[in-house]
Amino acid sequence: MASSTNTQNAEPLRRDDSTVLSRIADNPWPAARWVAVMGVLVLLELGALLGGFLNVVEALLIAVTGLAEVTVGLVSSSLAAGILGFQQSAASTLSGLRADTEGIPTLLSRDVIPNQGYQPGGTGAWEGPFLGLEPAYAWALRLVLVLAYALVLSYWLFRGWLVFREHYRQMEWSPTDDVVDKLRTHRWGQFGIVILVLFLTMGLFGPAMGPTTVEQNILSPYTEDSRIEYYNAESGSVETVFAGEANFNAKSIGSQDSNVGPMTYDDYGRFHPFGTLTNGRDLFTFMMGGARISLIVTGIAIGLGTLLAGGLAMVSAFYRGSIDLGVLTLADGIVSVPRLLLLIMVSAVFANTWLGNILDGGFLLAVVFGLTIWPFLWRAVRGPALQVAQEAWVDAAKSFGQQPSIIMRKHMFPYIMGYLLIYASMSAGGIIISLSALSFLGNGLGISPPTPAWGRAVSLGQGLVSGPSWHISFIPGAMIVLLVTGMNAFGDGIRDAIDPESDTGEGGETTAAGGGG
Amino acid sequence: MASQSPPDADADPSADGDMAANGEEPLLSVSNLQTVFYTDKETIYAVDGIDFDVKRGETVGIVGESGSGKSVTARSIMGLIESPGKMLEGSSIRFDGQELTEFSAEEYQAIRGSGIGMVSQDPQQSLNPVYTVGNQIMEALEVNRGMSGEPARQEAIDLLEAVAIPDAARRLDEYPHEFSGGMRQRAVIAMMLACDPEFLICDEPTTALDVTIQAQILELLRDLQAEHGLSIIFITHDMGVIAEIADRVNVMYAGEIVEQAPVEELFADPKHPYTRGLLEAIPGRTEQGEQLRTIEGDVPTPNAPAEHCRFAPRCPVAFDACERIPPQPVTVEDGDEHTASCLLYPEGETEAERAEHHRAAAGERRRGHAESGGEP
Repeated sequence: MASSTNTQNAEPLRRDDSTVLSRIADNPWPAARWVAVMGVLVLLELGALLGGFLNVVEALLIAVTGLAEVTVGLVSSSLAAGILGFQQSAASTLSGLRADTEGIPTLLSRDVIPNQGYQPGGTGAWEGPFLGLEPAYAWALRLVLVLAYALVLSYWLFRGWLVFREHYRQMEWSPTDDVVDKLRTHRWGQFGIVILVLFLTMGLFGPAMGPTTVEQNILSPYTEDSRIEYYNAESGSVETVFAGEANFNAKSIGSQDSNVGPMTYDDYGRFHPFGTLTNGRDLFTFMMGGARISLIVTGIAIGLGTLLAGGLAMVSAFYRGSIDLGVLTLADGIVSVPRLLLLIMVSAVFANTWLGNILDGGFLLAVVFGLTIWPFLWRAVRGPALQVAQEAWVDAAKSFGQQPSIIMRKHMFPYIMGYLLIYASMSAGGIIISLSALSFLGNGLGISPPTPAWGRAVSLGQGLVSGPSWHISFIPGAMIVLLVTGMNAFGDGIRDAIDPESDTGEGGETTAAGGGG
Repeated sequence: MASQSPPDADADPSADGDMAANGEEPLLSVSNLQTVFYTDKETIYAVDGIDFDVKRGETVGIVGESGSGKSVTARSIMGLIESPGKMLEGSSIRFDGQELTEFSAEEYQAIRGSGIGMVSQDPQQSLNPVYTVGNQIMEALEVNRGMSGEPARQEAIDLLEAVAIPDAARRLDEYPHEFSGGMRQRAVIAMMLACDPEFLICDEPTTALDVTIQAQILELLRDLQAEHGLSIIFITHDMGVIAEIADRVNVMYAGEIVEQAPVEELFADPKHPYTRGLLEAIPGRTEQGEQLRTIEGDVPTPNAPAEHCRFAPRCPVAFDACERIPPQPVTVEDGDEHTASCLLYPEGETEAERAEHHRAAAGERRRGHAESGGEP
């Protein structure tokens, strides 16, 4: 308590000249504790985090250079070729780096907790899996640890903000505090956050979560690295086989004798948490791989769409008149084009071109999604932007001669950011559904095979839903539903948290939660 | 009220007399300013052909009821008229020898702030609530004087002190909601002073404030004017405030200036029936025990070019000609400082002569506009 009076006395001074760093130097312990734990958390999974980070960097690099390429390509094809060359070399460097990061020891990896193995003699202890456990348990252990790690890491990041707020922030209160406090009692929003975190985890740590890898099981099952050892009951010895060959004998095609359902083993001692696909590939691994590409495509699309929508909303609110009308007309024009047909057309036109091959076709889709989704976001934020543009402080900034671009960024953007966030998270669900729909249609649409895509799994199992192989369609379908619901819940949560008038509704819940806890 | 104005006149007797005598060009000269708003239903002549000058170091008041076009005048000068509003061809705003109506958006942006500053109607809203007051003053400093970092901070502290905010160094890091209404208005004035303008437009800067704070702000503006040699246009609907601060007054009604006069003369000898009505509505000027007089009715929306006197329907002394002839400014005193747009003047002529006088002047005015580009 003594310290709190001190802070109050010191407040006027602190507000004058201290920076965050100097405040940390004054009172280093809370920060040091947080950093120490964070450091341990990061070290544990350094390889995976770096790998995931490089993945994001690569996607961004491809997105940015890809867009630059298209734009420059309109003017000069040789320049575009130059950019393409740069993109390829940079991407290959990044891939090399990513390969290096796989060498960094990571605690929760399949090297440390392997789940692949065989039972010498057909019974007894397993050779290969972690501690001789059954592959199912070894895999489950790794999965639980990875999920737990991801949740702890997310919490710790949030905790970092709490530490900052409590010890190092100058203001005693900011509107963000209210938003966070409201989210803390908003169960529906929290459900959305958890789903989002799980989805991000699948994207980032997917390779460690599956019982096998996309590389070995799906992309190149016939290379030397893809050999697996298994106990052959007929010959009574341990033999090796290509994963592809094993897949061939582990198909789920709807008949009782040819089906590997969820939570079962195939003839090669491989555990399949979600069963196998019609081509014998592991569905769980497939889902993890699909999560990554969905994440990247949705991210690029929503990023591009939000950028366009936010920028144009501010431009039309600031200038109004004919500029606003022009944007409106453009938006209406874009909305009037059926998006699915446009996607099909673009996919067909660009099939087998370099542009259509970036990110296995995902990049092109992301750009089309981004360019077609902004009118919806723009309509939603134009209203709030118009309102902000009428504020006297915008006039005041104009009357002291501030540039329009800075007025928009500094005096308008903070007020429409919340709306953008809400609408972006709600539209993300729509993009995931459309992406799955394209993959479902197949025939050169959507993410090109063999790269996993959720919609394709649904499509593969379409005819088998009523038989023993129901899992092929049902599980990915349910995952899509869950993810989209989660995204909407996240958006709802933010909306309620940002809206100061939702206070009353939350009040009851707060008391209830308080009583329960 | 009028008795309070002599000290003002004493403060800069030279400014008024000498400059007029030298015939020096006024700092701001507005002539035939017409700002119209096109709506789906009608075209509104919010400002309809007004003329006035502001000399260096002078305070010119614009007074009128709500809806008489005062704020639109201010925004026109600032170049802040937005769609569906438009300044008509033939409008002229000369500032410091430059024709502002011909300026591009970039040129206007450069003149705003460092040339002409504006303190707007609502001090509560003129500061962005998400940034500290210091941040916003420093923003103005950076835009207009290229100052940043520590010098800007120091200058911002000086400015807050100049507008009499105590403990300025600490206040700089506070948010607008931590300021009281009067302090916020001072902060807005400080923000405008940060631009170091030659010319300040104060659009009802004291309307939202209580009377004591109002007096302090007026005092502050007077001091700043003396210190920086500012020219000020002061817009208000409060005759009392006008009496305290203005050197000369323009009375606006429905988009037109109906009377122009030095402040003492206006209060002592108002000529236009509207001005008389406004003055009679001030408590304390009427006889003891008498009911306070009001002007019946509302300001009409000027939705057509003037073909008659817009005040006629509310005018106690209107006659037939008022419905047919748009009155033109007529000199009503010795010298040309005091004019009124009313068919009652020039005094001493018969009704027919006066009507003819105004009809001729109106025709001449219309022809003049047609030559200089004209309105549709």
